[in-house]
Amino acid sequence: MGSARGAGVTLPLQRFGLLARAGLFLLVCCVSFAAPARVDESRTIGRIDFIAGQRNAMPPSNAAWQAHGLPMRWSSSAGVRQGLWLRLTFEVATAPTEGWGLLLQRLPSGGTVYLNGRMVADVPTDTDTQRVRWRRPHLINLPTDFLKSGGNEVLIHTSYGSGVHGLGTAQVGPTAELQPLYSREFFVSHTLRWISLVLTVLLAVGFAALWFRRRSEYLFGMLALIAFFWALRSLDSAFEVLSDDAHFLSRLAFYVGTGAFTALATITMWRQSGRKRGRAEFGIGVLAAMGPVLFLLSGGSFDLTVGPLWLAIMLGALALGVLSLARRAVSESGLVLRLVVAALLIALVAAAHDFLVAIGMLPFASPALLNIATPVLVIALGATLIDRFVRSLAEVEKTNADLETRIHEREQLLKRNFDRLRESERVKASAQERQRIMQDMHDGLGSQLLSSLMLVERGAMSNEQVAQILRESIDDMRLAIDALAADDSDLFAALGNMRFRMEPRLRAAGMELQWDARNLPEEVDLDPNAVLPVLRIVQEALTNAIKHSRARVVRVTLSVDHDGDAQWLSIRVTDNGRGLAAKGTVTGRGMLNMKSRAARIAAFLKVESVPGAGTMILLRLPLNPIPGPTTRAMQLSLDTEAVIEQLRKE
Amino acid sequence: MSEQPISIIIVEDEPEFRRRFVQIVESEPSMKLVGVAANKREAQAILDKVAFDVMLIDLGLPDGSGIELIRQVSQKKPDVDIMVVTVFGDEQHVVSSIEAGATGYILKDSAPADVISCIRLLRAGGSPVSPVVARSVLRAIRNRMGTTAPARVPGAEQNPLSARETEILQLLAKGMSFNEIGEILGISPHTVTAHIKKIYRKLAVHSRGEAVYEATQMGLLRS
Repeated sequence: MGSARGAGVTLPLQRFGLLARAGLFLLVCCVSFAAPARVDESRTIGRIDFIAGQRNAMPPSNAAWQAHGLPMRWSSSAGVRQGLWLRLTFEVATAPTEGWGLLLQRLPSGGTVYLNGRMVADVPTDTDTQRVRWRRPHLINLPTDFLKSGGNEVLIHTSYGSGVHGLGTAQVGPTAELQPLYSREFFVSHTLRWISLVLTVLLAVGFAALWFRRRSEYLFGMLALIAFFWALRSLDSAFEVLSDDAHFLSRLAFYVGTGAFTALATITMWRQSGRKRGRAEFGIGVLAAMGPVLFLLSGGSFDLTVGPLWLAIMLGALALGVLSLARRAVSESGLVLRLVVAALLIALVAAAHDFLVAIGMLPFASPALLNIATPVLVIALGATLIDRFVRSLAEVEKTNADLETRIHEREQLLKRNFDRLRESERVKASAQERQRIMQDMHDGLGSQLLSSLMLVERGAMSNEQVAQILRESIDDMRLAIDALAADDSDLFAALGNMRFRMEPRLRAAGMELQWDARNLPEEVDLDPNAVLPVLRIVQEALTNAIKHSRARVVRVTLSVDHDGDAQWLSIRVTDNGRGLAAKGTVTGRGMLNMKSRAARIAAFLKVESVPGAGTMILLRLPLNPIPGPTTRAMQLSLDTEAVIEQLRKE
Repeated sequence: MSEQPISIIIVEDEPEFRRRFVQIVESEPSMKLVGVAANKREAQAILDKVAFDVMLIDLGLPDGSGIELIRQVSQKKPDVDIMVVTVFGDEQHVVSSIEAGATGYILKDSAPADVISCIRLLRAGGSPVSPVVARSVLRAIRNRMGTTAPARVPGAEQNPLSARETEILQLLAKGMSFNEIGEILGISPHTVTAHIKKIYRKLAVHSRGEAVYEATQMGLLRS
């Protein structure tokens, strides 16, 4: 029967085991599933008998059965499959009518179960082609027909190859009572294992995705690898039935995963705690590589020979890493770091516990604590991701708020500057306006009134002449007022006013005034200084027509035309009178006046006259290509955007 | 003309012009002068006693601004036409008179025939306007709408003018005559002047609303 070893091996370590369990008490309490199953003492089977033997020959009751307490653990390195009979006995006062069951908390190697000599279950065992390692519990139905009052006997025949085997606690009782215990045990030993695996894979994917998007985040790349190798390692214990080849690959994955995980995790924890230990890192790498290499070299026997030692070394390395990170967590204040370190410590203790169980230093049936610790660790590491994400968001928000404040400040500044500029422009404009009015009073009305005064004092003027002079003065003043009233460049309205003032006079002189302003735009941009000179020129032209032309029709045509980019305003005063007299007459002086006025505003004056057919006076002046208010507003907003852009770059 | 003569009062402080206007009105058989005042106080005394159709008023009175008087009359007697007498026909005086309720204005040195025809135009439901005044009315309305003064959002209003009225003002601002505008728009010159009077009324109504708004803001008026 080979090397079936008793619980005696674990005895010297019972106290250590108790201590370790006490240390884990809190954790175990937190996760109620892990609490050892509590059942009615009377239904817990504490002892069994065992004997080696083949399945085809049920051992007689007088065979050399050996007694053993439960849980029981044994290992084999023989390399051949061996058979083992296990005998459990229990008393039943009266044969039950309801369904009874046998709950085997653990029977990794599987087996065939007989009740009072009749087979009641057949859990697959190792065969030539498949390897089984049941991690789930088994709830075996005990038919009431097979049960009898008094002593009952359950025989289990199991078949095992090399490796660690055993039998956990066993309970008999009504199925209804055992079912919840079974479910709880199944969840911890099976479901939770898969949950851990899936969570670990998700974590690996999450970290990898993060690292993929931000290659500079070296830590996330490492965490992705660590999680990946942990998942690889966990695959081995996730599958319970494997073909021989798959079993070999699974074990290889376990050693590769464990080695790579340990090396990367330890090195990462060291670096995260602020230390770079080149040699130690190298050493860890070599030690970690030794596991899979030796496994490949030695084959299956590694599991039982050097394997546990190597695992212990790996565990020690991890402990060093966790400790150095813990030191950093103590000296620094960071809730997330502390959370991670706490989870790491829990995982470390859980791993140590499971390791001790595996090598038989702790009772065989102890729950696999890593199944519980892994989700805790995954959640803690997930918390770092979330923390990182939340912190980035907060940072972005703060940056945006800062930026907005700064933009707002700049905008205010811009606006103030803009207002100041506009104010100073306004002040300048009104100063210019004042200058213009004074100049105008001086040259126009002032000198006209003065010269008239002198003439009147000399008694050289008739009443009619005085009235004429005064009328002209008032005309001139109205011109000036129209020009002033016309905001900025409102030449057309001022011209219109003049039209209605002049019309009665032309009518009185027997002339018809035709005014063609149909094709004018509503507004043009004209230098404000040009308004009054233009009015004067047109008035002069009309006055000349009244005085000299003897025309019947005087026509004023206003139009705006484009010449490339430039805009031109044309004012044409045409009459059908007798045309201009020879040069040197009074008309000549008026013409000179008009020409010099036109020259001062960069306009161009053309006079054409055909004796007996009429006169045409054309005034052409350039319009300002100044952008309108809309464009100005657009420029202002463009400036704001430029400022924002600049701020973002800063 | 009509059988009922147009009754007129004149408020003018300068004796020379007062005499001139009195003469113009008296020499016109279809009009009847029912009162003459040289200042605000005298004018107010007449307003309550006499019924009249048209008030000719100078803005610069020795005991206060004629604007006050215009506002008073236009509110008490909405049927009365108020014609402002101005030296230059400049926009500032004219527009503020229109806002107070005046529907017409005339230059002090206008020929007698022009004065008469202007009064007739008013009674016939029209209003005279010069290009500069038309332009200023357009501008005043735009300012109220808040397009050029964004700070005045609370006072910003809908454009009270119809599209046709705006068009007429724009043509007037270019110096077109009533006849020409009538030709362009296919309406009679009389309709054009009627439009102008409507525009004036709207301007006055809106400026009154604005005055109330401002008074409320200053706490002068309570609810």
